[in-house]
Amino acid sequence: MAQIIADRRDIDFVLHEQFEVEQLSEHERFQEFTKKTIDMVVTEARNLAVKEILPTREESDRQGCVFEDGKVTVPECFHRVWELYKEGEWLAMPEDPEYGGQGMPTCVALAASDYLVGANYAFMMYSGLTHGAGKLVEAFGTEQQKKMFLKKMYTGEWTGTMLLTEPEAGSDVGALTTAAVKNDDGTYSIAGSKIFISSGEHDMAENIIHPVLARIEGAPAGTKGISLFIVPKFWVNEDGSLGELNDVVCTGIEEKMGIHGNSTCSLTMGGKGGCRGLLLGEENKGMRAMFLMMNDARLLVGLQGYTCASNAYLYALNYARERVQGKNLLKMMDKDAPSVPIIQHPDVRRMLITMKAFTEGMRSLLYYAGLCEDRIKVAADADETAKWQGIADVLIPICKGYVTERAFEICSTALQVYGGYGYIKDYPLEQLLRDVRITLIYEGTNGIQAMDLLGRKLGMNKGKPVMDLLGEMQQIVAQAKQIDVLQAPAAATEKAINRLAEVGMQIGATAMSPKVLEAFSFAHPFMMVTGDVVMAWMLLWRAVLAAQKLEKGAKKKDVAFYEGQIKSIDFFAGQMLPITMGKMEAIMAMNPAAIEISEESFGG
Amino acid sequence: MLPGPGARKEKNVDIVVLLKQVPATESLIQVADDGVSIKTEELKWVINPYDEFAVEEALRIREAQGGSVTVLSVGTDKAVEAIRTALAMGADTGVLVNDPAALGKGALATARVLAAAVKQIPFDLVIAGQRAVDADQFQVGPAVAEYLRIPNVSMVIKTELLDGSIRCHRTIEGGTVVVESPLPMLFTTQRGLNEPRYASLPGIMKAKKKPLETKTLADFGLDAGALEGPTARIRALSPPAERGGGRIIEGESAAEKAAALVKALHEEAKVI
Ligand SMILES: Cc1cc2nc3c(=O)[nH]c(=O)nc-3n(C[C@H](O)[C@H](O)[C@H](O)COP(=O)(O)OP(=O)(O)OC[C@H]3O[C@@H](n4cnc5c(N)ncnc54)[C@H](O)[C@@H]3O)c2cc1C
Repeated sequence: MAQIIADRRDIDFVLHEQFEVEQLSEHERFQEFTKKTIDMVVTEARNLAVKEILPTREESDRQGCVFEDGKVTVPECFHRVWELYKEGEWLAMPEDPEYGGQGMPTCVALAASDYLVGANYAFMMYSGLTHGAGKLVEAFGTEQQKKMFLKKMYTGEWTGTMLLTEPEAGSDVGALTTAAVKNDDGTYSIAGSKIFISSGEHDMAENIIHPVLARIEGAPAGTKGISLFIVPKFWVNEDGSLGELNDVVCTGIEEKMGIHGNSTCSLTMGGKGGCRGLLLGEENKGMRAMFLMMNDARLLVGLQGYTCASNAYLYALNYARERVQGKNLLKMMDKDAPSVPIIQHPDVRRMLITMKAFTEGMRSLLYYAGLCEDRIKVAADADETAKWQGIADVLIPICKGYVTERAFEICSTALQVYGGYGYIKDYPLEQLLRDVRITLIYEGTNGIQAMDLLGRKLGMNKGKPVMDLLGEMQQIVAQAKQIDVLQAPAAATEKAINRLAEVGMQIGATAMSPKVLEAFSFAHPFMMVTGDVVMAWMLLWRAVLAAQKLEKGAKKKDVAFYEGQIKSIDFFAGQMLPITMGKMEAIMAMNPAAIEISEESFGG
Repeated sequence: MLPGPGARKEKNVDIVVLLKQVPATESLIQVADDGVSIKTEELKWVINPYDEFAVEEALRIREAQGGSVTVLSVGTDKAVEAIRTALAMGADTGVLVNDPAALGKGALATARVLAAAVKQIPFDLVIAGQRAVDADQFQVGPAVAEYLRIPNVSMVIKTELLDGSIRCHRTIEGGTVVVESPLPMLFTTQRGLNEPRYASLPGIMKAKKKPLETKTLADFGLDAGALEGPTARIRALSPPAERGGGRIIEGESAAEKAAALVKALHEEAKVI
C-alpha cells in the first residue's frame, strides 16, 4: 500500500510549487513559516493522523455514540486520541498565539488538516466546531469573554458547538423561535429547543460552550431579529472557574447514516426555567456574525467532503493495483494469458483518472481558498484586501457545494472499483460513502450554496469579484498557451471560461427578471459548471508548472508525477469539459419545465 | 521514568541520545544497481523507533531531574530532519556528524565516531536504541560505551535515577533483571520502556530555533584512516525470496486430508 489518506507528493506540490506558500513568510505575521517548518508541520500532522486518528475510524463507526440519562458517551477510543490531539495543540492552527492559536497560514493549516480531518472526520468535528465557536468569541466577544472562554476552547479543554437548527428552522434560520429575555444582571434567560446539534453533548471535555442563535423578546421577525448568545453547559464565572450546571438538557441523539462517532444531539434549553446565556456581540446582529464565520465553516465542510474523496481515491488506486481479475483486453482470445491487476482494464482506468483529476483539482481549490484568507491578512492595501476577499467569497459556495457533490461521486466511483467488496463492511469504502453524504447537506444544503452563488456572489460589488476570478483564470490560460503540450487543454479551458462568463451574465440577468424561478431552477447546474471551470483552471495551472519542470529536466522520481499532472488536464479538458459545455448550453436554453409543471403533474 | 506528583528535582542530568535516521518500515526497499546498497531516492525516512524510545526517556528524565538533552547523529544532510523532529519533541540541542568518510563504514567505525563526538559534550548519561531497524546489528550502543570506557546496560524497559547512579530493569529470556550502575553510563532501549510523545505544534515552532551543529571528523581529531581496519564489508544484497504460493491438501474426508498433511509435514517439510 503506497499512501493512505492523502498523497504527500501532491500536497507538497500544491503548497510549494503551485502556491509557493513559503512566500508568505516574507511578511512579519508569517515569518516563522519557512519551508522546513511547513514540511515538519505536515509530517507531524500525518504522523499523528496515521498512527492515532486513523485507527479510530472504523471502530468509532461501529461503536457510535451512546445516549443514556441525558448523557452521551463517545466511542471509547476517542478519549486517548483527544488527549494526544490536545497535547499537540493542533486545534486552532491559524489563530492568534495570544489566545492559544499557532498563527499559522490557513493554507498550511489545510494541508495539516488534509491528514487530520482525513483520518476520521467524525472525530475531528469535535475540534472543528470548537475552533469555529472559539472564533465567534474571538471576533465578537468582549475582552472579559475572551479571557473567560478562548484559551480553554483553543486548547480543547472545553469544546464548542453551533446551535442554529430547530425543527421548523432548517435552511430558513430566520424562522427560529428560541427566545431570550434579558435579566437584571445582564445575562439572558434562554428558552427553546435545538436539533441536529453536532458535538452537542459528550464526555470528552469538562465543559461545552454553545453559541446559540435566539430571538430577544420583542425583536423583529426573520433574520433581522436574531441575536447570538454563549450558553455554557456549566456556567463559567468571571474568573474563569466553573459554576453550576446550566439548564441545557440533551434529550436524545440521532441514529444516522454515517459519522457515527460524532454525537448529533437534541438540546432543550430552559426546560426547567434556568438556562442562562451571555450576549455575544450586539443585540439583533446574530446573523451578521454568522455570515462572517460562514466562509470558514463552509470551507471546513468542503474539506471534510474532499478528504473522503482523497481517501477513497487512494484506496481504490491501491486496490486496482492489487486485485487480479480478468485478462488484459488485448489478450482476451488467448486462453493461456494470465489474469491481470484490474488497473489494466480500460474502464477501471477511466474511473481512476476521473477520481485523480477531481481529487487534485479539489485539493488545489481548497488550499487556494485558504491562501486567499492568508493574502487578506497580509494585504498591502484595501484594494488588495477587497480583491482576495471577493475571490474567496465567490469560491466558497464552490468549495462547499461543488466539492461535496464531486466528493460523493468519487466515493461512489471508488466503491465501484472494489466491485462487490466495496459494498462489504470489511473494506473502507462503504463507510466513506456513508460518511461523506452529510457534507452535501449541513452548513447550508448544496441547494442553498447554489442560491448563494447565483443570488449573492455573482452580482456582488457589480460583479467585480467574479471578474477578478476570471482574470486569475485567464492568466493561467495565457501561460499554458506558451507551452506546446498544453495547446489543446489551454484552448478548451479558455473556451469554457469565456462561455461561463456569458452564462453568468445571462443567468444573472434572468434571476432579476420575471423569469426568476426558471433562473433559480438552474442555480445548481450553474454552481456545477462554475466548479468544473474552476477545476479546469486549477488542473491547467498544475500542468503548466509540471510541463516547465519536465522541460528543465525533473528528477527521475518526479517525472511520473509531473506527467500525471499533464494527463489530468488532458483528461479533464478532453472528457469533462465537453459535458460542461453541454450543461452550459442547457443553462442558456433554460428549459422551464421544472417551473411550469403543476404540482399535480408530478404524480404520486 | 515518570515523576510522581510534586517530584523533587534532584540534580541536573546531562543526557546524550544517539539517534539514527532509517527508512520507514512501510517503505518498499529495493536493491540499488551497485548490488551492495539500497535505493534511497524514494524512501521515506524516520527516526529509528528504538531511538525514539531513547529520546522520550531522556526527556522524561530531564523533566524530572533538570538537565539537558543533546541528540547526536551520524548521517547526511537528510538526517537533519530526524534531529529536528527530536528537537520538536523537546530535546535541547542537536549535533550532526556529516562527513562522507564517516558513512558506510560499519557499526564499530560508527561507534568510534559517536564516542569521539560524545567526548566533546558534557554528559552523565548516554541513551541509545538497542539496534537500528535497518541493519539490525545491535552493536553501536555497547561499542560506544566500550570506547568511552563507561558501563553499559542493554535492553532497558524501566529506569530509576538514584543519587549518582541509575537502576535499570532490563529484559532477559523469560523475565527481567534489575541492575544498578554508577553514572556516567550508557543504556540501550527495549520496547515497553515508554510511549514516545508526538511532536507538538509549539514544539515544532521552537525546534527551528534550537542549536543544531554540524561537525566533521576533523572536529574530533579523527581522519578517515583512523576508521579503517577490520570491518564487515557488504558483498551482495538481495531481497528475500518471494513466498511461494500455498498448497491445498486434497482429500475425500477430513481424516484423509489430515493424514496427507501429517505425511507432508513429516516427509517433505521435515518439521515433525
Ligand atoms: C448529522 C447532522 C449534523 C448537523 N449539525 C448541525 C449543527 O451542529 N448545528 C446546527 O445548527 N445544525 C446542524 N445540522 C442541521 C443542518 O444544518 C440542517 O439539516 C440543514 O441546514 C437543512 O435543514 P433541514 O434539515 O431543516 O432541511 P430543509 O431546510 O427542510 O430542506 C429540505 C430541502 O429543501 C431545500 N430547501 C429548503 N429551503 C430552500 C429554499 N429557500 N430554496 C431552495 N431550496 C430549499 C433544501 O436544499 C433541501 O434540499 C446538522 C444536520 C445533520 C443531519
